[in-house]
Amino acid sequence: MSEVVLSIQKLTKNFGKLCAVNQLDLEVKRGQVFGMLGPNGSGKTTTLGMLMGVTNPTSGSFTWFGEPATNLTRKKIGAVLEHPIFYPYLSGQKNLELNAMVKGANPANIPKVLDIVELSDRKEDKYKTYSLGMKQRLAIASALVSDPIILILDEPTNGLDPMGIAEIREIVKRIAADGKTIILASHLLDEVQKVCTHFAVLRKGKLMHSGPVDEVGKGEETVEVMAYHDDLSVLLQEFVGSGAIKKENGVFQVMMKDGYHSQDLNKFLFEKGIVTSHLITKKKSLEKQFLEILSEAQ
Amino acid sequence: MLHLLKIDLKKMTSYRTFWVICGLYFVTLAFTTASGMEILKWIASKFEDFGSSVNINRIPLYHFPDIWQNLIWVSGLFKLVLSVMVVISITNEYQYRTLRQNIIDGMSRWEFVLSKVLTNLLLSVMSVVMLMLITMVTGLIYTPELVWADIVVGTEFLLAYFLEVFAFLSYALMLGVFVQRSGLTIVLLMLSHMIEAIIKLNLFRESLKPSIGWLEQFFPLQAITNLVPLPFARYAFQEIQDYVSFTAVAIAIVWAFLFNYFSYLKLKKADI
Repeated sequence: MSEVVLSIQKLTKNFGKLCAVNQLDLEVKRGQVFGMLGPNGSGKTTTLGMLMGVTNPTSGSFTWFGEPATNLTRKKIGAVLEHPIFYPYLSGQKNLELNAMVKGANPANIPKVLDIVELSDRKEDKYKTYSLGMKQRLAIASALVSDPIILILDEPTNGLDPMGIAEIREIVKRIAADGKTIILASHLLDEVQKVCTHFAVLRKGKLMHSGPVDEVGKGEETVEVMAYHDDLSVLLQEFVGSGAIKKENGVFQVMMKDGYHSQDLNKFLFEKGIVTSHLITKKKSLEKQFLEILSEAQ
Repeated sequence: MLHLLKIDLKKMTSYRTFWVICGLYFVTLAFTTASGMEILKWIASKFEDFGSSVNINRIPLYHFPDIWQNLIWVSGLFKLVLSVMVVISITNEYQYRTLRQNIIDGMSRWEFVLSKVLTNLLLSVMSVVMLMLITMVTGLIYTPELVWADIVVGTEFLLAYFLEVFAFLSYALMLGVFVQRSGLTIVLLMLSHMIEAIIKLNLFRESLKPSIGWLEQFFPLQAITNLVPLPFARYAFQEIQDYVSFTAVAIAIVWAFLFNYFSYLKLKKADI
């Protein structure tokens, strides 16, 4: 499972004076769902463009499957960068046939991938008649048509309504469950936290952080407490594990000190004769960590 | 190779504009070249209105071997229509950004250019075949005394015609790759001859003509034009070049190669 599929060394791209990607080092291993985070304009798409041969790097190198990249390695990768791109006057079906021809994929896969993205009903309609959500789904279908080992998705939920976002997320999860390696660029932190196993943060073309999503929020814990008791805030302050306490919408947010957890707080309150009506352990969100990483850099 | 041609044809064959333009091209090409006798009759009738008479049967427009150069020169005018199709084909790839997706999907930039060049080759071959059929049919109808040797003489113009169409389509492709916008490219394509003529006019002033006038044949569009010289002056008792010049062929081949090579170089260096 730990085979390296993508290895990037000191990849750099300058557009005139602007340094879009700066000395980027990154490694993606087989089976990872790798989230690339960063504000708009942080170099995510430029990086993916270089990996997919459409942007020429200024310097640095990268290898796919341990080999220098050629157009043949790209055939093993399914990728959608930025917006879905298709011939508007061709039907969804014909567009996929064309993709399959370019990739050297078996056209027998087309009905299967159309099913995965639930577009089989509309496959004979011209691409230009599709809604944005359908276009995004067709793009995922085209990335899947060659049954690739790696899938690269760049902002796959951009511009979609909440239902569309949920649909795409489900599709990505299903594909990830098949054991495919996925690289997902996004500025939606929630999205990355929900589907990714690993993530990297880019800012102004520089790598700020890279690691597993699981480790986010380790060490610090916030506990939400609610109880029908007038002196709750006083009692919470008495508890030795309490750090800062905030009250939001009638709910107390207790930052726990190192080594203390929600069960300790619960036990303490119970011993004081208070039964909580609401007790939730909140780990630090990726959003919080992300903002921290970005502010550290400044 | 065949695979790349198939890919490019697949992009085109479901595109209505492609069929309309190609249909118009082949239909007008066929009708114009086949109706020369009717045009002659019309001219003769105009002359009769003025009281003079012309015996059009003494103008061997459709007689072998004259017919080859006559019809091929006329069909050469129509290559502009076909080149517009080539421009649309390549600029669409930029406008829809499908060129980018083709590369992402695993085409090399070289393969992409090659797929377009192969389509240009096919269109050129189809033009030649079309013209050969029209020439054979009309020639067999109008030539009073058929001599086999006369039919064969002049077929060298078919090769020149092929090169003329292919070189011009290569030029159109290159223009599309560099300009990337269809409207502007088509306008530049239509003005190309004029722009080149103006450059030549300013470069080769009368005083310089004897010394460097020979350079004129190396200009790209002039080189394409020189493949099939204008034949009709011969019916006004003037001397014309009624053969394909080897130098003209050599220069045109070099240009056709360069046009496509420049397209490749531009694409290779570009971020797309």
